[in-house]
Amino acid sequence: MKAPISWLREYVDVPVEAEQLGQDLTKVGLELGGLERVGDDVVLDFEVTTNRVDCMNVVGLARETAVRYGKPLRRPAADVAESGAPASEVLSVAIDAPDLCPYFAARVLEVKIGPSPDWLRARLEAVGVRAINNLVDLTNYVMLETGQPSHAFDLERLPAPGLRARWAKPGEKLRTLDGVERELSAKNGLVAASDGTPLALAGVMGGGDSEVHDGTRLIALEAAYWNPLATRRSARSHSLHTEASHRFERGADPAATRFALDRIAHLVVKLGIGSVRPGIVTAGAIPAARHVVYHPQRTNRLLGVRVPEGEHRRVLVGLGFGVEGGGGSWGVSVPTWRGDVGSEIDVVEEVARHFGVDNVPATTPPASRPGRLRDDARFARRVRELLAGAGLHEVISLSMVSDAAQRGVADARVRLANPLSEEGDALRASVAFPGLVQALQLNQRQGRRDVRLFEVGAAFLPAADGGRPREVRRVALLVSGPDPQARWSGRREGADFAELKGLVDGLVESLGAPAPTWEAEGAPGFLHPGQSARLRLGDAAIGWAGALHPDVAAGFDLRDAACLAELDLAPLLAARAAVRFAPLPKFPAVSRDLSVVCPPGLSAAGLESIIRGAAGPTLRHVAFVDRYAGPQVKAGHVSLTLSLRFSDPDRTLVGDEVQRALEAAVQALAAAGAEVRGVA
Amino acid sequence: MADDPTRQLEERARAARAEFDAAVSAATDAAALQALRDRFVGRKAGLVTALMKDLGQLPAEARKAAGASLNALKQAIEGALEERQAALAAGEREARLQAERVDVTLPGRPIPQGGRHPLTTVREDLEDIFVAMGYEVYDGPEVEDDYHCFEALNMPADHPARDMQDTFYLEGPGGLLLRTHTSATQIRYMVENERPPEVRIICPGKVYRRDDDITHSPMFQQIEGLVVGKGITLGDLKGTIEVFLHRLFGPQYPVRFRHSYFPYTEPSVEADLGCINCGGSGCRICKQTGWLEILGSGMVNPAVFEAVNRRLGRNAYDPEQVTGFAFGLGIDRVAMLRYGIDHIRLLYQSDLRFLEQFPR
Ligand SMILES: [Zn+2]
Repeated sequence: MKAPISWLREYVDVPVEAEQLGQDLTKVGLELGGLERVGDDVVLDFEVTTNRVDCMNVVGLARETAVRYGKPLRRPAADVAESGAPASEVLSVAIDAPDLCPYFAARVLEVKIGPSPDWLRARLEAVGVRAINNLVDLTNYVMLETGQPSHAFDLERLPAPGLRARWAKPGEKLRTLDGVERELSAKNGLVAASDGTPLALAGVMGGGDSEVHDGTRLIALEAAYWNPLATRRSARSHSLHTEASHRFERGADPAATRFALDRIAHLVVKLGIGSVRPGIVTAGAIPAARHVVYHPQRTNRLLGVRVPEGEHRRVLVGLGFGVEGGGGSWGVSVPTWRGDVGSEIDVVEEVARHFGVDNVPATTPPASRPGRLRDDARFARRVRELLAGAGLHEVISLSMVSDAAQRGVADARVRLANPLSEEGDALRASVAFPGLVQALQLNQRQGRRDVRLFEVGAAFLPAADGGRPREVRRVALLVSGPDPQARWSGRREGADFAELKGLVDGLVESLGAPAPTWEAEGAPGFLHPGQSARLRLGDAAIGWAGALHPDVAAGFDLRDAACLAELDLAPLLAARAAVRFAPLPKFPAVSRDLSVVCPPGLSAAGLESIIRGAAGPTLRHVAFVDRYAGPQVKAGHVSLTLSLRFSDPDRTLVGDEVQRALEAAVQALAAAGAEVRGVA
Repeated sequence: MADDPTRQLEERARAARAEFDAAVSAATDAAALQALRDRFVGRKAGLVTALMKDLGQLPAEARKAAGASLNALKQAIEGALEERQAALAAGEREARLQAERVDVTLPGRPIPQGGRHPLTTVREDLEDIFVAMGYEVYDGPEVEDDYHCFEALNMPADHPARDMQDTFYLEGPGGLLLRTHTSATQIRYMVENERPPEVRIICPGKVYRRDDDITHSPMFQQIEGLVVGKGITLGDLKGTIEVFLHRLFGPQYPVRFRHSYFPYTEPSVEADLGCINCGGSGCRICKQTGWLEILGSGMVNPAVFEAVNRRLGRNAYDPEQVTGFAFGLGIDRVAMLRYGIDHIRLLYQSDLRFLEQFPR
């Protein structure tokens, strides 16, 4: 809301300069959004919150100013010198829809249309309103001054000499002032002529057919109180937002209707634009003032400071509230322009605003219990630290993804009813796919090869009962391109399944959860069928990992292969075992290396299980240390080197025992078709 | 006189000494030194050893002095040999160290360099500050319903304040939506709270608005705080926010409160922080005001307690008995201010050129 300080000064003595006024009103809730010098005037632009439509006008701002500085408020002159035949002889008004319009008022003016005087044009232009003609300018001027929109009809162009407020019938049509022919619905309120012809979209915009023009001589000037919700729905149904609808939607002042009519009439006479027919024709009634019981002590308790009794009274009276009674319980009547005040707490806020938050001493409430980060939040922090420490960068990507892109992720997905675009028409069913793959694509397009990313966040899965979707906290990771650490070690190969698996297993181990089982079957279809796994912890599937399917990678136009994984966090958190100290071994361990040529179909996990079964309990530890597939071994076979460690907690093992265990393992391996190439 | 055995022995000793002195400085490795040792003090064929054997041929009165002299010679030779050996070893070590010299300006073998997202860093800083002040961190769902997101927050259908929060809705019945603010989570907590009416929580998380322009992201992050109890005052709100902002940004920045409007708090106040970019003199970041809008807050509107009580079917939060304050701020905004990030969308684009700028 723009207000020239010269205009404000007409209604209140402002004891400070414009800048200071802006700062002071900002503190009481009218934030200064801008300040502009226009000639020797200063235009202040206030950001008025939605509840304070009473400050969408100069008088309202002057009232706040008056209370702020303890100055009296002067009302605009509105005495009217009437002449001629009574207005009621040429105009009648009626309300057909009290739920739309509780009060409707009009005056009849005889005018000569022409340009406005310079001062009026200048003032309108200073606040960004285009001058049109003297009468329309006056209605705009008084709206800016009092907050009451009014509308001037050319009385002689009305199809019938009466105005009525009613709901539109579906299918009715109205050409509004902006030249648009609008089809109306039952949501639209109308000002209609008494014969039913639609004249204006009530509280929103006038109609073109009854518009004031250069030759207009007789005016029906209407000012009504339109229901806020009705106005809002009506304006929205036509995607309209006007100065009038903005005010009515937020609750205009029903009593300002008559005052605005009088003020315009006063100015019509004063400026020599014309004359005013005696009387205001009205229908309906101005709603009675609301009453609220107010306990000053409630304000004092809520603020934590004793506000003097006189201050409560000064603020309320200054803002236009009626105050009766005294002691602990006051009867307060709410001014008609304060539609936002309906309960005691609203009154408390008024006193608090003008008493001033600066006058409330700062305290801190004592904590009744210790603060707490929940286990799952602490766990997520640990996940982030570990993965960042392992060389991955955290990303946060939008939860909205293209549903088409995640078709392979889940059968049932959560779709948005009103997406911004097809690119984000569903909630992600996976954190890793397609989110992290798209992130890889973006970075590769910038010429980046080594890309290692992770994200911790929710995947959204439809609930079986159609209720709120399940939000499953997951960690997703993606590795692609050459290992940045390979620079000095001579390793040049790109990210592969082994790197991914190392990261996943290392993460899970560091989190204190048992190692997940990697199953070659059951991974999602967007992964390479031969380089992917479903991960299990006990009986529960907790995620998947693998290389991106080459066809999918081609679809993303990826330069390097990518490996990605996704794990549920909750089962990992739940599976963490308490750490128990194990006594250090008293007796030395014996280590042996075993080289085995594995036939096709025997997995590393199978191999380990054969060796452990045959070697018995003294075999404490098995590690895979090397892998070779190439010309030295038969096609389809793989040579694996394992490091075996034997020990016994109660004694030193003798060489024979280890030898016997090894031989048992070698025999069992041979039975499974695995040839032992060497023992060292 | 020429065949005086004493003189002869002295002569041979002098010759041996002269020969040794010439040879020892010419020896450049351990083998040469061993050869010298064998030639002069070797047990079998050493020259000095031989001289000592010949001592017996001397007259008894000369034997003692000659013996002492030969012993001194032997010790001198052995001492010189050891000295020479030490010098050679030192030279070898020096040469080896020189050979092992590396170029210290060559880069090291890199250790993995990942990083947390700057929003994570800021969020955890915020959480830590409030946990230290006795707050519980509460994490609510991102998909909400109308009751939690609007209705219970005193924003019934058609409330003008809803215009500011254009909402994403899910397909299907039930009117489910993506929460437009973390305030929804304070309602969820109050409804689920096991120890009403005592509340002291913060709720960080993602929120969603149907905004699509350069200065907005359809997803961003907020943190909501709620304190409810007997005798909670606006003074408590002020003090809490001052402490929090000073811990987050530093005590040198002033905090300003001004009245504002939110449907779910009354009175409502916004907190501004003296501009951390210009120190208050006015700049582009603070739109020349010297102040940064940082946080919205207020005393919980009794209508909110009443809405929660209706849902609970009991007067768990009696507005006549308890009061509270709530506040909310944008995690994105704090991160953008702290790091000088000028576009919110950078936060959600997963661009390594951006992410790598933030130490973990
Ligand atoms: Zn600044």
